[in-house]
Amino acid sequence: MSIYGVLFEQLPYLLQGLGIAVLLLVALLLVGLILGLVFALVEIYGPLWARIPAYAVERFARGVPAIILLFLFYYGLGNLFSIGSFLAAVGALGFRSGGYQSQIFRGAIQSVPYGQMEAARAVGMSRMGAVAFIIVPQALRHAIGPWSNEFSAEFKDTSLAYVIGVIELTRQAHYIISNQHGHTLPVLLFAAVLYFIVNRFGNSLLYRLESRLEVPGFERRS
Amino acid sequence: MKGMLRFTSAMAAGLAAIAAMLPATANAETYTAGIEASFPPWAYVENGEKKGIAVDAMRWIAKDQGIDVNFKDLPWPSLVPALGQGKIDLLVTGLDVTEKRDQVIDYSIPWYVNNDALMVPKDSDLNVVTALSNGATIGIQSGSTQYLWAKDNLVNNPDIDVSIKGYDSSVTAVEDMETGRVDSFMVDELTATEFASKRDDIKTIAILMAERPMALAVTDGDPHKLLGKLNKGIMNMVDTGNWRKIVKKYAPYMPIKNVPGYMPQNIDHYKNPPGIELDN
Repeated sequence: MSIYGVLFEQLPYLLQGLGIAVLLLVALLLVGLILGLVFALVEIYGPLWARIPAYAVERFARGVPAIILLFLFYYGLGNLFSIGSFLAAVGALGFRSGGYQSQIFRGAIQSVPYGQMEAARAVGMSRMGAVAFIIVPQALRHAIGPWSNEFSAEFKDTSLAYVIGVIELTRQAHYIISNQHGHTLPVLLFAAVLYFIVNRFGNSLLYRLESRLEVPGFERRS
Repeated sequence: MKGMLRFTSAMAAGLAAIAAMLPATANAETYTAGIEASFPPWAYVENGEKKGIAVDAMRWIAKDQGIDVNFKDLPWPSLVPALGQGKIDLLVTGLDVTEKRDQVIDYSIPWYVNNDALMVPKDSDLNVVTALSNGATIGIQSGSTQYLWAKDNLVNNPDIDVSIKGYDSSVTAVEDMETGRVDSFMVDELTATEFASKRDDIKTIAILMAERPMALAVTDGDPHKLLGKLNKGIMNMVDTGNWRKIVKKYAPYMPIKNVPGYMPQNIDHYKNPPGIELDN
């Protein structure tokens, strides 16, 4: 059978791997979203004793290669909690994404003009309330563009998770290559096409969300 | 500001709660066997199913010895550390017995003795002498026993003019040889035969008598007392003819060798392998 026949035959398993990759992506982006918002808010509004550890942890998350974080979470933290491969990957990549997302949110929050805060305080809102109901909602809207970049980057990095035993798309592709004793190029190219399709689809959804939420007359995407 | 802090600490408590809820990997009776599932004929995945000599043999031994085993696929460089950390309880793949690995894991009796092979492209004129001299380059999977052997005995010998290039897998080494970046490819004999049976563009030009024992392995110190069961199971499997059946199913070309195979006396548990009586 030609390698294309094999790819067609093995498509269900490749798609199963793609499904695991997407599941991992959704979970890690959620973890990253929560961590990122917490880091960003603490870094901007937190007291000094909270800001310093937040900066330190966030810098560490962004400064260490993803593959090393995967090993640290699986073999290091995994010793304390006895977590499986998938959850370790969600933790490691989600933690790293939290670092990156915090900087997206920090930039977006700081780009909301300071007059907004002053106006909110002037009508009697608390500082906390102004952040939660005036600043953050506007910042999140601005953050969608840069956040779509993070979406793409993290989706591609799910392909590293096989090193700790997550059977995602890249690992499924490896299975085919080793069973065929060759054809590395066509198999990996096919996996690349699957990654690309999901990536484009996800990005166009985010772009659509961005234009749905834009304020008519003030902001234009293109 | 206080509310803000309460929010953050609630968040942290929530994350800790999720972390605490994570399921334990296995109950006490079930053992996790680590395999490298891109290593046919020993272990591989086809149509979503784990297969191969090592996988089927482990299933047979587990049934024979009344233990439960599930398989976990990890890439090769992760397997020995995972065993050391107790992430897996058994290492079940085409694993070579070496003195260095013996320091961090414990081996069962050898179920096979393997040699090394040298392969070249079908149209190559190289022979065993010219492929290992005159500035020739050999492609080998990094970290493999063959890689370490070639490094110690060929590259580090100033009188021999060869260089080696390491690859993350045998397949990439072979494909790079086909593009002409290396002259030959060194691998264990079984994998060489497997390649020759699946690809018609390469040939074996030499078998190097290395006599490398291959075995199963457990965590150092054998905390679950599995070695005796493994050794007994291996001997039962051989005596009942099931080993031959499993090997012939996956690798019809593979000669059956005496079990237990050659046992270097500097390996732990090879003077007095637990669970079995040696005839001599």
